[in-house]
Formats: sequence, structure tokens, C-alpha cells
Amino acid sequence: MEQFFYYLKVSWVSIKRAPLPYALTVFILSLGLGVFFANATFYYQLNSDPLPHKSDKLFFPMMMLVPYECADCKPPSVLSYANVQKLKSSDIPTAEAAMYSSDGYLRLDSTALPTPVKVRLTEPDFFHMLEVPLLHGAIWPDSKNRQEIVLSKAMAEKMFGSTDVVGKQLLLDDRSFAVVAVLDDWQMLPRLYDANNGNHVNEVEDVYIPLETGYDLNYLSNTQSQTFDDADYRKLASDGRSKALHQLQYWVQLDTEAQQQAYQQFMANLAEDEKKAGRHPSPVNNQLPAMRNIVAYFGGESGDIKAFALVTLLFLVVCLFNASHLSLNRYLSNQYEFSLRRALGASRWQLQQQMLADVLLMTVFAISGALLIGFGGTALMNYLWPINALFARWDLTLMLFLLALTFAASYLVTLYPALRASFGALNQQLKE
Amino acid sequence: MIQLKNLSKVFRTELIETHALRQIELQVSEGEFVALTGPSGSGKSTLLNVLGTLEHFDEGDYLLDGQSVRGLSDRQLSALRNEKIGFIFQGFNLIKDYSLLDNIELPLRYRGISASDRKRRALEALELVGLAARKDYHPSQLSGGQQQRVAIARAIAGQPRILLADEPTGNLDSLMARQVMELLEQINRQGCTILMVTHDPDQARRASRQVQIVDGQLSDAAMYDPLAAKLA
Repeated sequence: MEQFFYYLKVSWVSIKRAPLPYALTVFILSLGLGVFFANATFYYQLNSDPLPHKSDKLFFPMMMLVPYECADCKPPSVLSYANVQKLKSSDIPTAEAAMYSSDGYLRLDSTALPTPVKVRLTEPDFFHMLEVPLLHGAIWPDSKNRQEIVLSKAMAEKMFGSTDVVGKQLLLDDRSFAVVAVLDDWQMLPRLYDANNGNHVNEVEDVYIPLETGYDLNYLSNTQSQTFDDADYRKLASDGRSKALHQLQYWVQLDTEAQQQAYQQFMANLAEDEKKAGRHPSPVNNQLPAMRNIVAYFGGESGDIKAFALVTLLFLVVCLFNASHLSLNRYLSNQYEFSLRRALGASRWQLQQQMLADVLLMTVFAISGALLIGFGGTALMNYLWPINALFARWDLTLMLFLLALTFAASYLVTLYPALRASFGALNQQLKE
Repeated sequence: MIQLKNLSKVFRTELIETHALRQIELQVSEGEFVALTGPSGSGKSTLLNVLGTLEHFDEGDYLLDGQSVRGLSDRQLSALRNEKIGFIFQGFNLIKDYSLLDNIELPLRYRGISASDRKRRALEALELVGLAARKDYHPSQLSGGQQQRVAIARAIAGQPRILLADEPTGNLDSLMARQVMELLEQINRQGCTILMVTHDPDQARRASRQVQIVDGQLSDAAMYDPLAAKLA
């Protein structure tokens, strides 16, 4: 241990001997790493899996159950109410939930100012499938029409100033709803259940009401509604349920390989039956992507972030080369000391240990600088792409990765110069 | 103690080959004080570097205490340098940012000696060269002669059996040079074998044996005399 501290002392003395070149090396390294960190943060969070143990068991069925003929069309990513009922006739899934989102205004009573809210209209299995944590109350037992509402924790605190508000009443678009449950802190990132609309980078909704209530109260989807016949959007309770008005996302949980195969067979059979009934004029094209692949399936991966990731990676490489060059100059100017130590009996391995102490110090300085620059870079990206702001957060895994990367970068920057210095001609250096 | 058998060393570049040492045959016994003399570029320093294992040789063999150094690994050569050989350079080669004590402790650190033992040995060595009172000074605070005495202290702190000195008085005035030579003689009297490269005939005469090198070849004949060489 004493020898390790000695190596650190030697490194420190060497830094003090020429602080400016060292500071420049650290700055260039920090700059490359910091810019890379900023982008890596977004890239990591955007590509993270919020349900890693389950995302290969949740599926998004899509079928060409539309009243038009198209040979090479993709099936619509949203289903009509009638189609969902047909899919629901299967008892293969462990859980299933249809859903869509809408907008509304919430207030405590008619005298209060309304608060705009994001509403998800869904079924009880939504909460089970996505493992949404409950703080108070209970979710509706089914999705029948009832004037009951589930609040996010933040919305409960905003409306009532507390979270234990089960049983209290409030107005959603001036209709009275009773609070039946309050969610605990929950922020699914990315929000994969909404990836078909490219909304997976947004925050989760503020309030939740039963799907049937949404249809009866004529809540139209705020993201994707399309009709393929003469359905009247304003008559969601009637036309919405019976005609080709597509706005429902539908997720099923298929836990086993057997369930998944059986469900695909069920979809194939359903398509055949619909064809026979004349309601499936297009060639069969059933799709069943898993939640794990849903963003890629809908092409929702951010091109900007990907391109920027490549640019920042190249920038990091350029910075590594520059820092390595500066480091080489510093080491070569200290080469006589390397040679002297070699002449006095230090082995190359002992010099490599000295180099590791150099790497350790550089890692400490570079990670500090890189985090500062990364923080600034993240703030800048939040400003330029506010939609991605939700993903600008650092967790322990990411921090450990960044630390390991900084150590590796510091090692690379130090490795070649140190090797050059320790393999130099001893006698020449000592003579000079 | 030291035996060179038909040892040759060639420096090669893309264009030319320079035969720095040619078929050197040399034996040095324990306790000898050998002066290596010869004109500039004759190969004196190269021979000293080969003896100190700072340079590899191309042909022949070098036996130290009866054991060939050819084929020793980097770790073995480093240990050999650290334990058996002490170096004294013309340019002192002290690290200016370290105190005298730290400079002298340097070779002892790579031998895994405890901190207290290191300090004791370094202080003893400084005592011997008469600079113990200045142990916390830095090299830049000393005269050239004093710096060379510190370098000698560093060389002997590890109690090596061989001291290799490359023109140790080359950068010193005559008074300082005499003090350094007296110190080397004192160390030699205590049993340490010394090989010293020098241009100075007076200093060479103080050695127990003089070895002359001309064009990389070694001769036990008369002392190389630069004045005579000039006249010739």
C-alpha cells in the first residue's frame, strides 16, 4: 500500500512539473467523454427496457380486419372496438387490455379552475400487465361504464394536497367521478405501451378511467383515430362500438411459447373466419410484435439521437487521439526519469504500476470534468429537443458504465505514451 | 567477478553499421578499481552500459559472478541492476523535485525494503558523503560537487558490489573532482569494485588498473594520453 501511495505521489509530482499540458490533456479527454456522456444518457434511457423480465411476454396483436382490399399494406396499428371484442373471445392470454388516450380537464368543483390532464381509458389488466404500483384504493374489477377514476400520485397531490383521497369526488370535464385508487410513483421509461403512436418518450398519464366509460362519454383518441366506413366520430358510444372506427391499442400477455403459438394460430383462424364472412378482403397479414421490440417495429427509434451518437463517438475518438498525443509529449519529456528508474532497478512491470497510478489520477480528473460537461450537454439537449428531456437522468448502472469508460479512456491515453517512455534507450536518456 | 568473453556490440541504422565494441575480453576481480580510458567515441561508455546491463550486446558473453546475463528476463536484469550495480552519471541524474533523501531511497524502493530501513540506509549513505545535514534539501540547492556526492550516496545506499561511474568528475572543477575521487577511493577500500570511465590521466592513474579502448577494441597497454594522441 505504501508503494501505491508512493506511485500516486510520483504522479502528482509529475503533474505539478508541467500542469498546463496535463490540464489540457484532461480537458480534451473530459470534453470528448462529456459530449459522449450527454448523448449516451439519452441513448441508454431511450433504449432501456422498463420491464426486462416481462417485455418478451407482452404482445401487440394487429390484423388486417379492415373493410378495404390492399395486397401489401401493413395492418393498422389501432383496432376497432368490434375487432377487439373478436380478439377478446380467446381465453389464451394470461391478461389483456384495450386502451387509448385522450385529453380532459380536471377540477375539484365547478368553482375551481380546470387543470388540463392526460387521460388513459383502459381496462384493469393494464395495471396488472405493466405492474403499475398502487398507493391507495383498488382498480375497477372490470371495464364497465362507471364514473370512477384512478389518479396518479402527482395529480392526487396537486388536486387534493394529499394522496389518501379514495372516495373523494372531482369533476372530469364537468362530470362527477369518484376516486377509487391512487397510483404510487410510476414513470415507465420509455412508455412502450404507447409506442405505436411514437409517444413512448412522453410521461405517463395523469388519470385513468374505464374504457367503456370513455366510449359512453364520447372521449375520442387524442393520438390516432381512423375510420374506414361512414362511422361518425361524434357517436363513439354507438358507431364507435359497431363500425370500423379504429383507435384502440390492444396488449395481451402470453407467458409461454405454447401460449404464443396458440395465439398466433387463433389469429390465423380468426382471419380465415373473417375472410369467409366477407369482412377480411385483404390477404392475411397478422402481426404480433413483443413489447421488447415494439419501438423498432414501429420505426420509433430516434434518428437524431442515433446520428448524434455516431458523431459523439467519432468526436470521442478524435479527442482520445489528441489527448494521447499530448500525453505522449508529456511522457517523452519525462523519459529521462523513466530511464533513470529503470537504471536504478525498476522493472517494466513496476513502471506499469506507476502508469496505473497515472491512469487513476487522470480518471479522477477526467470523470469530474466529463460529468460537468455531460451535465451541461444534457441541459443543452433538453433545450434543443425538449421532447427527450424525460430521459436526461443518470442512474447507478449508467454512472458505473461512464466510470468504466473513463478509466478505459484514461488507460488508452496513457498506455502508448507510457510504453514508449519505458521502452526508450536507457543509456541515451541518461547521457543527455 | 566480471568476465567479458569475446563481446561485441554493433549499432545499426538503416544506412550504416557502427561496431562500438569488438571482441572484448576483460576480467575484473572483486575489489578492483578499473579506469576505462580512450578517445571520445572509442566505446568506453558503451562498454560501461553493457556492464550495467543498460545495453544489450550482440556477440560473446558477459558473466557476472560466474552467471551469464545473456537471456535474462527484464525482471531478472532489473533485479540484478538494483541489487548488484550502482550507477554514477556525469550529469548526476538526480530528480530535482525530490529531496536528497527521496533521491537516495529511489533504488531501495524497487527492492521492497521497508520504509524505516530505507531511511536508515539513505541517511547512512548521506553521512558517508558528508551531506546528512542537508537530507531535506533539493538538488538545485546544492553545488555540482555536492550533487555528485548525493548521486554517489544513491549508488552506494543499496550496498552494491559494483559501482559503474561514467565520467563522474566530468562536470566538476578540480577541487570538487578531487573530493569525488577521494570518496570513490574510500568506497573502493571498503571492498566495492569500481569501473570508471574518465578522460583525465591523473584520475586514471589513481585506479588500480587502467584499461584503454580504441575503436571499440580493448588494450591493457599504456594509459591513453590525450596530449600524446594530439601530438601523434
